[in-house]
Amino acid sequence: MAEMWISMGPQHPMTHGLWTLKVKVDGETVVDTEPDLGYIHRGVEKICESRDFTQITTYCDRLCYASANTWSHSYIYAVEDLLEVEVPERAEYIRLIAVELQRIASHLMWLGAYGPDIGNLSVMVWCLREREMMMDLLQELGGSRMHYNFPRVGGVKRDLPHGFAQRARAKVSLFLDRIQEYEALFDESTIFLIRTQGVGYSKPEEMVNHGVTGPNLRAGGVNYDVRTAHPYSVYSELEWEAPVERPSIKGADCYDRYRIRVEEMRVSALMVLEALDKIPLGADTYHSPGDPAILAKAPSRAKEGTSGSHHFEDSRGESMFYLAGGGEGRGKMPYRVSIRSPMFITIPYASKCMVGYKVADIPAIMGSFDPCIGETDR
Amino acid sequence: MDNVHDTLPSKDLDLTVTISLPTGIWPEDIVLGKVLNLQDGFGGMQPALEGLFSATMICTIVFTTMMLTMLPIPYIERKFIGRLMDRLGATTTLRSLWIGESGVTAGKWWDQLPFGMGAPIGWLNKTLNSIWGNDHHLEAVSRVNNRGYHGYWFLLPGFFQAFADFTKFAGKEHIVPKEADRPVYEVAPVIIISTTVLVFAFVPFGPHFYVSSPELSVVFMMAIFGVAPLGVFFAGWSSNNKYTLIGGMRSAAQLTAYEIPLLITVLGVCVISGSFNVVEIVDFQAEESNVWNLFMLPLGAALFLITMIAEVERIPFDMPEAEAELVEGWWTEYGGMRWGLMFAAEYQRCYAACLLFALFFLGGWEAPFQGTMEALPLLGGPLELLLSIIPGIVWVLIKAWALFAVFVWIRASLHRVRTDQILEFGWQWLLPLSIVNLAIAMFLRVWVWDGSWGIIAPVVMILSGILGLVILVVDEDKEALESMKRPYSTYAVTKAYPGRHPDSKLEDLQRQYSSYTAVQAASSVSLSDTEARS
Amino acid sequence: MGKTVTTSSQKLAAEEMSSALSEMDGVVAVVSERKSGTSPRNIVSVDCSSENWRSLAESMRIEHGVDYCSMITGVHWPEGSSDKNWEVIYHFMRMGVENPPVIDGMVQPIVKDPSKLEGKAVPLEIEVRIALPETRDPKVASVQDIWVGADWNEKETWDLVGIDFEGHVGMRRVLQPHETPVGFHPLQKQHKLRYHDFEEMYDDAQGFLRKPSDAGKIK
Repeated sequence: MAEMWISMGPQHPMTHGLWTLKVKVDGETVVDTEPDLGYIHRGVEKICESRDFTQITTYCDRLCYASANTWSHSYIYAVEDLLEVEVPERAEYIRLIAVELQRIASHLMWLGAYGPDIGNLSVMVWCLREREMMMDLLQELGGSRMHYNFPRVGGVKRDLPHGFAQRARAKVSLFLDRIQEYEALFDESTIFLIRTQGVGYSKPEEMVNHGVTGPNLRAGGVNYDVRTAHPYSVYSELEWEAPVERPSIKGADCYDRYRIRVEEMRVSALMVLEALDKIPLGADTYHSPGDPAILAKAPSRAKEGTSGSHHFEDSRGESMFYLAGGGEGRGKMPYRVSIRSPMFITIPYASKCMVGYKVADIPAIMGSFDPCIGETDR
Repeated sequence: MDNVHDTLPSKDLDLTVTISLPTGIWPEDIVLGKVLNLQDGFGGMQPALEGLFSATMICTIVFTTMMLTMLPIPYIERKFIGRLMDRLGATTTLRSLWIGESGVTAGKWWDQLPFGMGAPIGWLNKTLNSIWGNDHHLEAVSRVNNRGYHGYWFLLPGFFQAFADFTKFAGKEHIVPKEADRPVYEVAPVIIISTTVLVFAFVPFGPHFYVSSPELSVVFMMAIFGVAPLGVFFAGWSSNNKYTLIGGMRSAAQLTAYEIPLLITVLGVCVISGSFNVVEIVDFQAEESNVWNLFMLPLGAALFLITMIAEVERIPFDMPEAEAELVEGWWTEYGGMRWGLMFAAEYQRCYAACLLFALFFLGGWEAPFQGTMEALPLLGGPLELLLSIIPGIVWVLIKAWALFAVFVWIRASLHRVRTDQILEFGWQWLLPLSIVNLAIAMFLRVWVWDGSWGIIAPVVMILSGILGLVILVVDEDKEALESMKRPYSTYAVTKAYPGRHPDSKLEDLQRQYSSYTAVQAASSVSLSDTEARS
Repeated sequence: MGKTVTTSSQKLAAEEMSSALSEMDGVVAVVSERKSGTSPRNIVSVDCSSENWRSLAESMRIEHGVDYCSMITGVHWPEGSSDKNWEVIYHFMRMGVENPPVIDGMVQPIVKDPSKLEGKAVPLEIEVRIALPETRDPKVASVQDIWVGADWNEKETWDLVGIDFEGHVGMRRVLQPHETPVGFHPLQKQHKLRYHDFEEMYDDAQGFLRKPSDAGKIK
């Protein structure tokens, strides 16, 4: 049969977001791909040039809506680098709890979408049921279920609510039990194994050259994690290790990328439990918003010529903000905000990974890289 | 018709044409016979009309029965999948049996029964809900989970969703893609729907409840079942859409690949039952052998199940209409009633598959252990009387619906197999296995059957079936399995699990909090939540 | 405690690299310490001229093992000094990632204790800034062939900021629509966010001045 271009167009139930994947197909085999992004380019970088530092946090939540806390924290660390602010330790612990809970929620959303891609419809509802628990916790912390606007320059918006520690421990422990259910549904299903093993190989050196990080890289057998390599926050105070997968000989396939995220969920859950133990001044004390224990005084203006940048381990890879100071309002607004999105770099790489496999493998491969178009298009 | 009661004597209108020619040309008169004998003509039509009338009546009755008994099928699918996916409450059906008045006693009809008779039901409802984790502390979420608060008690809520769906489809516009091949586009649904309905021509719903039962009814049913792939391919190609073309080709390949094991398996059933007629196959199981074919041919039953799931294109063999890639596959471009009827045809094929399984393997209209029960010394008579009160159709339907529940269960739990893997599975595994099944059937019929199966043969077959199942399910060599499966344990020797860190305080934490079951966590959450928020 | 790269080893590695890079002409490399919450981190901050960029890039890749291009971005300084009208900022990392070895048919994951890394194995962050003088079409040499990760980053920089990359194969619009007019690069400072000198959020929160016919209305 002749080769033809299929457009897995902007409206498609599989693509996890609004982008086009044009696929050149020879029968059932993929011969070439061409991703087309930019459908939800909202011009966030330009908008941020005329917003205060505090106002930009709300925009950063909406960059990747599935993983909002990681993005707003990524931005806040860059601002603190720019303004040279010391953050109190309790605030760092609270931030860590929020980020790791968000990571669990983001991976659950991914798993809930990956199941139906492969064909299993039940797991979507199960994962969203678990995600409800995490959303409840994040709602208590941040005030809303999706865009929390939680960190502030120099600390966090408010302290852990009353009873949060008890509820969080209960829910996270329950979640650790439930992960085994999901593993049973996937790992013990021969059909899932034949769909995902041997599909979409990727090698670590290639991935690094392309700029892919995060769980996709760790699925390849290399323990590179921004939280350990360029340490920030209080990750060094907790006993944890980034999970690393043992890939197959030809590289990391979809199964490895799936496995790594399940292990990451476990590790994040354990980190949350540990952080609740180790938080300074105890997890049951409450400080009112603005208290110096959770929010340090920060300058609101950045001098011209200064710049701040920060690498952050987002649920999908390494995200980075670069801020140039000295903008409007005599420095109250940044001159330039530049956002590095891991998915912007991974999607072309994932498209290259698909060449040589069948059309039916496209959702398996694309889903396993966990695309989120909100951050890709900014 | 008998001519005695004619009102018009035949002779009066006996228009015999006689041609007499001059003797030179033809000596005798040429009698062309009764050219116009209305009475005889009408008389000859009578049996044909009788035949037509009775055929129409029986077809209508059987078709109506089929459609009515098919109504529970989407209902089972929706409700069962909802529970498997944990979307609906564990006991919605229990609550929805009677909704109460103006929502006041909504959902708790058992409290209204006199003398507290309904208390055990209430306890059962509460326990099931807490086991299956359906008691959310937020009342709003519980109500959503236990939908069924609105409706009338004598109608099962959610039952008429199918009617609403089809009314909606009937009202939609018929849109044809501009460049579509119009004749083929219109013919494709006709082929699919008509061949699907034709299958039910010979499906007996009960011992005397069928349209007709010719000698080769199984052959016809299988043949007509296999014409639908042609319609599918037409639909996929004529829509002028790359997605549907891919879907149609995948479907054609898959259905063709699974037709052959299906036919050979059915052949095995016919061999073992000694006839190509469905009614006789069921009679064989009911009367002659007293053993359901499921137990004589477990491999055949499994093969029939798998190939039928592939034939009706359900998950795990869902590729042709995989929503993840092809949106709706080969029927993307169809809208309105054409799509509605094809959707119905898919469920009809499913239903036909369930019915055929019930008839071929599960003894049709025979109650379980009917023969044994009737042969009991003392109780046999009364039991036979009781069982004869229940019409055969009830058993057929129960078996078919239960099997459909199995189809739904499979759909909710398994993943989709990729097309080339489906084809590989069909050609490399199912085809040889079906031939093996045929050989077993032939062996059993020719050498073992002598008026009855005896004791040894069924026991051997059942045990071998169970053995096969056990072998498939149990992992023999755990270590080899682990290493072959590329264990996901990371560099650490031990897998990540709660309390992994040997020197952390997490163990105490886990011990302290591991006694939290789902119920306790939820209920303690509710108390402190309300405290914190008040 | 948890295993992370120690500040001292990072600082040492950063100093090594910055002194090695400063020896190239046109390149000035320093170690700058950044705040990262409670732990400081040291990065190598390099100022390079656009003529020497290509040789610096090649040397970074080959000699210093910088294998990861994180971000390429550009800034437009219309009111800056005449030789810093445009700035291209690159962020790289030296990750030290290798393909895991295969022993006896099983892949052995590479697990390094980050607190024990030394020398060239320490992960390092490098920031390169290239200042371009005032010009209508700023351009810099492309490094697409050195790091594949630079490919889409350069496309985005050109698309939004307008800085061209010489030698880049397949330059196209990547975030804006393909039919965006030639020469329109929204992150340049002459393009205001909405209306000229009009900050809608503060001056007209309810949007009544958007249509002159609505002027004077009260909500």
